[in-house]
Amino acid sequence: MKRYISKIFAGLVLVGLALPGISFGQNADEVFRAAGSPHNPKVNIAFNRYYTAEGLAELSKKIADAHPDLVKRISIGKSYEGRDIWMLQVTNFKKGNPERKPAFYVDGNIHSNEIQGAEICIYTAWYLTENFGDVDYITEVLDDRIFYIVPTINPDARNNYMKEANTGSSPRSGMMPFDDDRDGLVDEDGLDDLDGDGSVTSMRRKSDYGDFIIDPLDPRKMIQIGPDDVTTAQRYELLGSEGIDNDGDGRVNEDRPGYYDPNRDWAWKWQPDYIQGGALKYPFSVPANRAVADFVLAHPNIAGAQSFHNSGGMILRGPGAEEDLATYNRADLRIYDAIGEKGEKMLPGYRYLTVYKDLYSVFGGELDWFYGSRGIYTFTNEIFSSFAYYKNERPDRNQSYDFDRELLANDAFTPWAPYNHPTYGEIEIGGFKKNFGRATPGFMLEEELHRNMAFALYHAHHMPKLSIDKVMEKDLGGGLREITAIIKNERLMPTHASQDLKYKIERPDYISIDGVSVQAGMIVEDLDLGITTEQKVNPAKLEVANIPGNGTVIVRWIVSGRGTPKITVDSAKGGLITR
Amino acid sequence: MKHNLQKLSLLVGMFCMVAMAWAQEYTTLPQQAQRLRNLANSSNMASLKSLTKTLGGKDIWMLTLGKGDAESKPAIAVVGGVEGSHLLSVEMALRFAEGIISDHSDVLDNTTFYVFPNMSPDAYEQYFAALKWERSGNARPTDDDRDGRLNEDPFDDLDGNGMITWMRVEDPTGDWITHPADSRIMIKADRSKGEKGMYKVFTEGRDNDLDGTFNEDGEGGIHFRKNLTYEYPYFVAGSGEHSVSELENRALLDMLYTKWNLYGVFTFGPGNNLSSPWRYNRAGASKRVVTSILNDDAGLNKYLSDIYNETVSLKNAPDSGEQGGDFLQWAYFHFGRLSVGTPGWWVPTVKDEEGQAANKDKNREVNFLRWAEQEGLTNYWVDWKEVNHPDFPNQKVEVGGIAPFVMNNPPLAKIGDAARNHTDFIVKMAKMQANVQLVNLKTEAVGKGMTRITVDVYNGGTLPTHTEMGTRSRWLQPVKVELSLGNGQELISGRKIQTLRSLDGDASVQFTWLVKGSGTVKIQAGASHAGVDSQTVNLK
Repeated sequence: MKRYISKIFAGLVLVGLALPGISFGQNADEVFRAAGSPHNPKVNIAFNRYYTAEGLAELSKKIADAHPDLVKRISIGKSYEGRDIWMLQVTNFKKGNPERKPAFYVDGNIHSNEIQGAEICIYTAWYLTENFGDVDYITEVLDDRIFYIVPTINPDARNNYMKEANTGSSPRSGMMPFDDDRDGLVDEDGLDDLDGDGSVTSMRRKSDYGDFIIDPLDPRKMIQIGPDDVTTAQRYELLGSEGIDNDGDGRVNEDRPGYYDPNRDWAWKWQPDYIQGGALKYPFSVPANRAVADFVLAHPNIAGAQSFHNSGGMILRGPGAEEDLATYNRADLRIYDAIGEKGEKMLPGYRYLTVYKDLYSVFGGELDWFYGSRGIYTFTNEIFSSFAYYKNERPDRNQSYDFDRELLANDAFTPWAPYNHPTYGEIEIGGFKKNFGRATPGFMLEEELHRNMAFALYHAHHMPKLSIDKVMEKDLGGGLREITAIIKNERLMPTHASQDLKYKIERPDYISIDGVSVQAGMIVEDLDLGITTEQKVNPAKLEVANIPGNGTVIVRWIVSGRGTPKITVDSAKGGLITR
Repeated sequence: MKHNLQKLSLLVGMFCMVAMAWAQEYTTLPQQAQRLRNLANSSNMASLKSLTKTLGGKDIWMLTLGKGDAESKPAIAVVGGVEGSHLLSVEMALRFAEGIISDHSDVLDNTTFYVFPNMSPDAYEQYFAALKWERSGNARPTDDDRDGRLNEDPFDDLDGNGMITWMRVEDPTGDWITHPADSRIMIKADRSKGEKGMYKVFTEGRDNDLDGTFNEDGEGGIHFRKNLTYEYPYFVAGSGEHSVSELENRALLDMLYTKWNLYGVFTFGPGNNLSSPWRYNRAGASKRVVTSILNDDAGLNKYLSDIYNETVSLKNAPDSGEQGGDFLQWAYFHFGRLSVGTPGWWVPTVKDEEGQAANKDKNREVNFLRWAEQEGLTNYWVDWKEVNHPDFPNQKVEVGGIAPFVMNNPPLAKIGDAARNHTDFIVKMAKMQANVQLVNLKTEAVGKGMTRITVDVYNGGTLPTHTEMGTRSRWLQPVKVELSLGNGQELISGRKIQTLRSLDGDASVQFTWLVKGSGTVKIQAGASHAGVDSQTVNLK
């Protein structure tokens, strides 16, 4: 009977997935809008659970199918195991040239066990598309900007994390096989899920010489015996993560799938493995990373970027490595600080930090490549922290156990149970499951996704927004006119980050005039004092190094002829506008 | 009959090789491919494959020289054409391959060579083009001055001689003067000696885009030896948008990273750590990002350098032309291999003749002109000739100078024994390679049915199994010592698998095991780049 019901349920789920998402999920009479959320979306998605690579691919397809004018779903490349790296391009495709809109890039899950980022990405695409037309701000955002959203850039190992023997912190790597213990064999001694609970937990053994006892008030918990403690309780020793010595070399779990770190594979100040553990042969050795890099190199309109990791509740900026300190200059840090500090407010429990001094000093990270190599302001969020359990800045050290019991109905912990181990004999296996500790628990997940998305949208809000604010004409006599135009950027980010200007990463912005005969062209340094710098060559197309954030650039032409001038601003990161 | 045919084709092949080896002109890419095919067809010790095609559609060739199970023998990679304008380096790599097959095939009993003769074929072709200029970049279109316009300011052949040389402009604000020993050669004025500049010097061409800089963004491309990861130069013309971005760089590295048997890399190119070795610098060696050769390796480099100077007998080498992103340094600093390189040849120092002004500062260009004259070279110099230059309407502009390519790529008749001597040196290096052996095997009966086995793992070579840098790399295997048990046998003491980070030349480490049971066990020791030895042991 039970099995019969579950089959029906599976059938319903399948039908649900197969339904074209064009119709609304619910009869409009049946729902009432909660502020800030789509109340009757075309695509219904449960945001209190996680999805496998295939689940994410299916969700992204449903979103794309339901909103053909707002979403293009493309594969930017293949993972090592041949899965598509799906990208959702989200904008109002009916308005403007999507390739020329300022773009915001988002990805998640580069570390395979750090899963929430993928759901944040799906949530973001869903939220933007479902609110388009209903919420003016979102409509405007999709009219003006484009989002390049890649839910997972490590789909192979995401599935490995979910389906195979793992802790909450493994595999982190991707699935390319390597000989971690350098014994000539590859991935021959990974973790083992000996008790079959789907997670790699811990092993303990009764031992007269052990340093631990069971907490008499909570049998899940082990207490360490101090040097002065006297105990009559049964002593235990801890034997590490669940596993066996698969290759018989006298070591347990020493050669797992991988190991490399896909976030040490990016080309800015890249260093080899002996300097930066986890690096591979050369930058972009990981196929998915190469796909992202190639895409970014081909899309100079990307002005902001965000990658999602877990955990610890952090909004991180570079530099990743202390040696790279000089790359992050003062002008750009002002912009990072403004966005990062806003993030601290939007994401309670999160702190705005700098990788090299607050986390670790590492080379080859994604955020450093985006900024150092492309001049794109980029943050990495470490999703979720223990603050979330009881919204408490000073958490009790036992709170994980309390939370499991009080709010998760003991679902997060596998109780200790006996096991006969081939090397260690009679042992016990138990502990927190892999989906607890780093992955946000289900009932809190939607809030986590929403707040992180809101932070990314705030960052995207401050990408350059250009307008030709004023055009002034003055008759100079003798058939000459002076045309002065004020180009305004009403947002925080300049069209060229200071790093970009330093190395001329992106071409200058072009401000050009058509329809008249140009005799001279110049940049106006001071409008009142009439101080200008003339561009002697090709004055009809003025080259401007930068249009500053919350600022203006003033240009002037001396023209002849009666035509009405048409002015065009052509900026890689600021877009293409005419007046 | 069949046998005879084979012999005949071998003879024909040998003849072609000899004919080619004596070629006096630099070979075109199709001729190179033919030379490589001839070698591969004429000998079962040589096999040829194309790793990839460049953006310009040119093959990157890999020639494997080896006998039997070549992949399991310690190997050296020999690489030419790392600098596209150094045609000689390609010739040297080709002659090395031909020389091994014709004169040194015995070395293949113990060593395999992977020869990559030309890593810059796109650039190499410029030598044969209608307009000759020293090109380093491949066929990728690049915005060298990063101004948003592509190839908008190339060289211009102002004097119409089919070569790009130099322009000098008479101008009191210039920094250049003529050399006291040879007024054809331009040098920078030394203000500290009261010298005043009289010329400006540019490469030959116009400021086509009127941006005030001459010839800063012409055709091509990314330089093979500016695109690797060690000290990669960011945002520099010719380096690309990121390291290892180019097909040829990636193809070579992808191949090298599969060759666990590689212990050495020999590069023909501008970098030279053989005429004088790299120096150890404590501060550079102890930083996290290492910038100095490590101490032990400096000793090794010095040792090889001494042997090189004895073998090759070229004196007064020009300063080593290493640069960020190059291959010679990458092979050591990031690949952990023993990495040595040399241009293979340079202009010999000419003595001042009577009546000639002394070349006091040993100016290399002055020396080159004197040598070229002595040797009767032609077309190596373009006399300064006045031209009307639209960018300098009221100034005297002359075009002239040393012809492109000639300083590093002499007529092949002039290189003498250089190719043979370098082949000899590489063969010497191969004969010094690490050679892990099991020696002094001892078995003793211990108690009831137990045997104690003792053996020395010995490196019979002169070179260590690992450079000091190599011990840090995950891309070199440690020396692995493994005891394999049979049925019913039990290891009482000792480990089945143990590893050594490195074993110096002529050094040994003793291992011991206590095994219970009867029959035989197998001991194996080594690493694919350092030789592997195994022995079967009868239990007592």
